[in-house]
Amino acid sequence: MPKTIVCRCEDVTEEDLKRAFERGFRDLESLRRFTGFGTGFCQGKSCLCHAARFLAAVKGGDDMVSDPPRTRPPLRPTPFAAFAGALPEADAGAEEKP
Amino acid sequence: MRDRADLVIVGGGVIGLSLAYHLARLGFSDVVVLEQGYLCFGASGRNGGGVRQQWSTEENVLLMKDAVRRYRRLSQECGYNIWFRQGGYLFLARDDASAATLEQNTKLQNRLGVPTRLISPAEARRIVPVLNLEGVRVCAYNPTDGVLFPFPVVWGMARIASDLGVEINTFTRVTNIDVRGRQIVKVVTDRGAIATRRVVNAAGAWSPQVARLAGVELPNKPYRHEILVSEPVKPFLDPLVSDLSNGTYFSQTMRGEICGGLSDPAEPSSMESGSSLRFLSRMSRSLMRLVPQLGSLKVLRQWAGYYDETPDGQPILGRVDAVDGFIQLNGFGGHGFMMAPAIGQLAAEWILRKAEHPIFSTCDLGRFARGEQRRETFSIG
Amino acid sequence: MATARRLDPLPNTPFQYGPKVDFTFEGKPFSGFAGEPLALSLLAGGVRVFGRSIKYHRPRAPMCLHAHCSSCLMRVNGRPNVRTCDTPCVAGLSVERQTGWPGAGFDLLRAIDVVYPEELRHHELFTSSSALSRMATPYVRRMSGAGELPSGPPPLAFPVERQSVRVVVIGAGPAGLSAARRLSQSGEKAVLFEADALAGGRLLDGATRIEGDGDSTGWQRWKAWSDPATLPGIELLCRMPVVAIYPGRPPTVVAVGEDRARIVQPQRVILCTGSYDQLPLFGNNDLPGVMTPRALDRMVLGHGVLPAEPVALVGDSDETLRLSARLLERGVALAGVVTRRRDGPLVGALQDKKVPLVFDREVARARGGRWIHELELSPQRQREPDRLLDCALCVAEAPAAPAFELGHHAGCRVFFGSQGGYRIAIDDTGRTSRDDIFAAGHCAGAADVTTAIRAGERAAATCLESLAHTP
Ligand SMILES: Cc1cc2nc3c(=O)[nH]c(=O)nc-3n(C[C@H](O)[C@H](O)[C@H](O)COP(=O)(O)OP(=O)(O)OC[C@H]3O[C@@H](n4cnc5c(N)ncnc54)[C@H](O)[C@@H]3O)c2cc1C
Ligand code: FES
Repeated sequence: MPKTIVCRCEDVTEEDLKRAFERGFRDLESLRRFTGFGTGFCQGKSCLCHAARFLAAVKGGDDMVSDPPRTRPPLRPTPFAAFAGALPEADAGAEEKP
Repeated sequence: MRDRADLVIVGGGVIGLSLAYHLARLGFSDVVVLEQGYLCFGASGRNGGGVRQQWSTEENVLLMKDAVRRYRRLSQECGYNIWFRQGGYLFLARDDASAATLEQNTKLQNRLGVPTRLISPAEARRIVPVLNLEGVRVCAYNPTDGVLFPFPVVWGMARIASDLGVEINTFTRVTNIDVRGRQIVKVVTDRGAIATRRVVNAAGAWSPQVARLAGVELPNKPYRHEILVSEPVKPFLDPLVSDLSNGTYFSQTMRGEICGGLSDPAEPSSMESGSSLRFLSRMSRSLMRLVPQLGSLKVLRQWAGYYDETPDGQPILGRVDAVDGFIQLNGFGGHGFMMAPAIGQLAAEWILRKAEHPIFSTCDLGRFARGEQRRETFSIG
Repeated sequence: MATARRLDPLPNTPFQYGPKVDFTFEGKPFSGFAGEPLALSLLAGGVRVFGRSIKYHRPRAPMCLHAHCSSCLMRVNGRPNVRTCDTPCVAGLSVERQTGWPGAGFDLLRAIDVVYPEELRHHELFTSSSALSRMATPYVRRMSGAGELPSGPPPLAFPVERQSVRVVVIGAGPAGLSAARRLSQSGEKAVLFEADALAGGRLLDGATRIEGDGDSTGWQRWKAWSDPATLPGIELLCRMPVVAIYPGRPPTVVAVGEDRARIVQPQRVILCTGSYDQLPLFGNNDLPGVMTPRALDRMVLGHGVLPAEPVALVGDSDETLRLSARLLERGVALAGVVTRRRDGPLVGALQDKKVPLVFDREVARARGGRWIHELELSPQRQREPDRLLDCALCVAEAPAAPAFELGHHAGCRVFFGSQGGYRIAIDDTGRTSRDDIFAAGHCAGAADVTTAIRAGERAAATCLESLAHTP
């Protein structure tokens, strides 16, 4: 059987989702943490929908799928240097200047 | 779900599960664990996985020596690899006061058999060549501290506990604790009630809420603590590095990500768990000061969890005066994960009356009323 | 396997070639056209494998070409994990692949994929003995991680511009452009942030058609709409992705460009963030040479780079069928079109051109070593035999996943639907669960460009109305 890749960043297969579900990781967040989908460079952009669809199918309906794991910034990988100057001087604490 | 149990543990974090795991291994498994979310929903699924023995009190150094021993064998015991990597902890002191603290702590730790060394910035750079140590006076380095991957610790303990007969119910929220006189009679959840006479409050940042269900007031307060990871790169950083001047800490995970956070004295107590630009910005500055080329490394994700803080920075352990059978295991601030295997073992032995340990009388809730607080001075993050 | 080629440039595409420029790829001289995506310079020059996946070391090559799948990462000018599809080709770049041993092209670590045909239980590796685990840790550590630490002079903090503006529109695709036009017509000032190098989104696809109000192609509409002169009052910022919205009141919108950042706290936000193209799930769907229809559309119709042919197309939508026809017009050899659409003018046109059409099969798996060479098609009914379709490139369509994330950052309600995935919840007028944030187009579940355009205009109208009621 060739691998069917659900998450390209972390090499998570459709089979991985099934086995994780069988082992009791049955909600999206646990499934994500156990298999690692959505934790790589793209943070879920090409896998979250597949995983949620998988859950909807095994649980029997779209409404069985909970809210997505909390989406956290940044939306795409972004250099630390982009944020270093994001606070006004006074807020940042002078001692932390790079 | 069972409708009665000898002992009910509220909280499926590392503390609750470590207790369940150690109880079960001692042959006691008439235990139900109740978790409102998934396993790892609380701080145990949001932390940095740092494990250190560099502490300022004898009690904590010894506790952590024991915890490290246990973490070294946990992967084998529970069948999930926790990837505990002892790459050391490197503390950086920039001022006289922190330098003095490091010196004093090192003496204590050495006396208790922890091989911490005070080293010069030049020597620290040999350990982490990319560090910019301008302005750093002195460093403390213990090569036997380390970092681990938190989720498998929780999953592994849960797996063994449930194999041994403990019932673990996720997505089950405790909504009431029924107390008659001084005696607990049952725990009520949104999925039914469980008759029991003993309840352990291991609800982390939620423990004051859970205690209130039994009519007990805890002094703990929740504080948001933020953390982030970068894109993964090949290993370049062995120890966890911590800058005492602003509480920055960062390490490199097994996957290669930089994972770290810093303290924020301006953070108010709250149950806010959103992310802030303030943290991302302060952390970026601090990292770029310590390792300038990290400026062009990319952040993948920031997130937040709670520190469950007590007034003296020590956990609350053991009995409470007002309610029999109501046991506290909470208030672990920013270091509950590292302490969990040691605490779980001690608490299991204490609950089963197999062994006493002074920690359950010195760290009980009553200490605040007795005026016996003892501050651990070496909390970071 | 046919080699990559460049087609004669078309005069009327939104993407125009700059002069030929030289750079180095793994130390060797290479060239491309200034401003085109670096990934295309590499594909045109014959690069096939861009990198290796993290766990099984499977080969990776561009899949989405729209900066979200992370299959095109390389080290560029000393920075690790750079998306080459989102990096313009300029003279003097130094480009290297970063994964694999001894290299990404030929990688012995691919053995992991063979040794673990079913699954590699990374949580359970080396748990038989603590000593073994400790011994293995440094090796496992060296194997993970992608790329080395950045080299070169450390950067300074990006300059940050703070701006006060009433409205921010995020995403300059069909929905975002139409929202911005509506705002502009009403004399409102707004900033329009776009991640891509050009405004347009799906209007930039050669296969897009807009129905109703004077049918047009995407490119025609793009020509009419993307000229800043037609958008007075709107500041359009391309290559400036919004990377976060912090959910206070007002929300804090953070956009980050190549070397600068901008922070805005607007009174209103209109989210028009579009969607992410997906691949269907079939065996070896990650094989290099398998990509989304929009990736190939942009490569071939937009930039004139054809990595390989013949091309197999899999899908039922008008866009995929139109893409097939437009590829034919450009002289691209088609291996076949696998579709469930049996009739209609689009299918008829392909039949007239003698394109092999496969109606009753679905893709079981892609085959190939480091690049696709055939598709295995299985019958929808039992008893019929499998079929193989020789091809050197395959595009396969799946429902796109709405880009709901920024709405979720801001605390807007989102919900799940199997067609696509999570999307931002809106009412008929484009309102989200937050009264100062609106959403339109694919991020809120719109199915096509025509609907997205209408939704953008409507959301902008609702936004204007709500501004009129605030002092
Ligand atoms: C960002 C961050 C970084 C950290 N870094 C480190 C570190 O490097 N090293 C370290 O040792 N520690 C660290 N910590 C601290 C450590 O994570 C905690 O001390 C530890 O996880 C506490 O475990 P716990 O089991 O007490 O709490 P939790 O893991 O929070 O578990 C409590 C559980 O109780 C559940 N619960 C609450 N109320 C109810 C109810 N009514 N019904 C049912 N269930 C309920 C919650 O859902 C939760 O899962 C960090 C913490 C944070 C937030
Ligand atoms: S991110 Fe570049 S091809 Fe998908």
